[in-house]
Amino acid sequence: MISLAVKAALLAAAGKGCAPGLPAGFCHHHAETSCVARNGFFCAAWAADNFDRYVGPFFKHALIVSVSVAVGFVLALALAVLSHRHRWLVPPLTGFTGVLYTVPSIAFFFLLLPITGFGTDTAVIALSAYTLQIIYRNTLAGLANVPPEAKDAGRGMGMTDRQLLWRVELPLAVPEIVAGLRIATVSTVAIATLAFFAGAGGLGDPLYKDITFKTNVILAGGLAILMAIGFDALLLGLQRAVTPWRRVRAT
Amino acid sequence: MSEPAAVEFREATKVYARADRPAIDGLSLDVPAGEICVLVGPSGCGKTTAMRMVNRMVDITSGDILVGDRSVRERSPAELRREIGYVIQQTGLFPHRTIADNVATVPRLLGWERDRIGERVRELMELVSLDPELAGRYPAELSGGQQQRVGVARALAADPGVMLMDEPFGAVDPINRERLQNEFLRLQAEVRKTILFVTHDIDEAIKMGDRVAVMREGGHLAQYATPAELLMAPADGFVEDFVGADRALKRLALMRVSDINLWEAPLAFVGQAMAEVRAKLDGAEVPHALLVDSERRPLGWLSESDLQADVVPDRPDSPAKPLLDLDDVMRDALSDLLQAESMYGAVVDSQGRIAGVLSVEIIADFLGSDDALTEEHPAAERPVSA
Repeated sequence: MISLAVKAALLAAAGKGCAPGLPAGFCHHHAETSCVARNGFFCAAWAADNFDRYVGPFFKHALIVSVSVAVGFVLALALAVLSHRHRWLVPPLTGFTGVLYTVPSIAFFFLLLPITGFGTDTAVIALSAYTLQIIYRNTLAGLANVPPEAKDAGRGMGMTDRQLLWRVELPLAVPEIVAGLRIATVSTVAIATLAFFAGAGGLGDPLYKDITFKTNVILAGGLAILMAIGFDALLLGLQRAVTPWRRVRAT
Repeated sequence: MSEPAAVEFREATKVYARADRPAIDGLSLDVPAGEICVLVGPSGCGKTTAMRMVNRMVDITSGDILVGDRSVRERSPAELRREIGYVIQQTGLFPHRTIADNVATVPRLLGWERDRIGERVRELMELVSLDPELAGRYPAELSGGQQQRVGVARALAADPGVMLMDEPFGAVDPINRERLQNEFLRLQAEVRKTILFVTHDIDEAIKMGDRVAVMREGGHLAQYATPAELLMAPADGFVEDFVGADRALKRLALMRVSDINLWEAPLAFVGQAMAEVRAKLDGAEVPHALLVDSERRPLGWLSESDLQADVVPDRPDSPAKPLLDLDDVMRDALSDLLQAESMYGAVVDSQGRIAGVLSVEIIADFLGSDDALTEEHPAAERPVSA
């Protein structure tokens, strides 16, 4: 379990700050109170003691990110495929997703609140909207980069438009699509800390409850960074797994 | 479907929107079943467009094209295309699919059973001389020549009656191109498809085509003829220019030694009285005597000093080089003569028995005479793999 490992590391770090000769319990207590009292850069002992408070928000955060990116992915892919076939849709859809992308996130949450209420739904709607632009544009770029001769051959052998899309164009666009997904996911992990304002919880919850306490900020922020790295690695692994043809040596 | 189907263009015309002139203007062309028809011409002449009209990759504006007596206009494009093999220059292999999966494309579209597809893929890889080990590789791992073979195998997968090939060997280096061309001609002798073959290379056209359609701008047919007819009698200045100034030499590539009247060699048998041989040499077309064994197989040429003997020796001074075969391509035979710095070459049949003598003079006479330009030679019916 990641959380347990992090906790153990924090405990180890706390032990190091202890003066030699003092009993362990005293040392621990002493270090904690003084560090917290003067709001030190990072109070490892406090972090270890209070780590459990972050586990729930961490997983809620991961859930919000996953659902938002998944919803955004399905929508963006659908829009991209639609505008791949009907090119005239590209400028309006690029503009529309671009506008969504520029709405300040907190404003977005408050605009949605009267409609969708306080909670996870509101956060997911706003966060999905933010992923659209990146995934949409990357998918379109991926589809545009499919070698024209592969498309010509596919069509010339009797593939219908749909067969060509699913068997040739989308598989060949996977690298660009996943690249978009990765950027979208990482940025969603960051923006999702604001989901707290929509009442959705997540790491923003502990973060904004005590934004002046440095240890809290570093711990919540650090967990978000770890999550972003984890998601990114996961997607990269996924891309490698589904595109074995990208790794062959060229002759 | 494996039966080759004839392809017939009937006043087929293509006018692109906003174009002031038709890309193809009333093209009529009959391609008999089982033959290779090469569409050749300078770039922009519409040869590729004409080819793509057959499988409706380009839709006809007016006129019609019949594939096996059925108009392409009444077929659904996808269904029609699955019955027509399609090979393009840049191979168009799917980079994300293995070689086996690439070859299996059309059978999958047709919904064949998995086992049947697997078997067919193995069969095709063998047919185009691809190592079965390559089946699991991706196109990027193959050489250009191998990729091109995969392209041909893929087009043949569902055993189509008609194949369309757009500059299929255009992206391959000259040495491999020659090999692929020869392989393809052998393959075609086996599978007998009706093939529309597009190229801008007149040498390739002459080599590959049973018939060659020389096209000029606007998809106009400048001449439609067998390669030999094209070389013998270009229809106009355009075709003559396009065929090139060396068309006489090109003709030699289309002929075999057996297509020309050879000279008779004065023969000398081992142990024969030399006086008889000397008598034969009097007024003979070939001023040298050829020593043959009892089966009439050439042993060598008798020299002046040999001729001084009383009887024919069993070992001649000069060997029978070059030794030519009736089946040799004329261009190669000429090259052999020139390389051996020899005026004469003994020609043998398939049993190795003397059939006559070929000389540089015969070839020169042939090229210089009206013969070379008017007479039809049987070998010209089939392209010769040189």
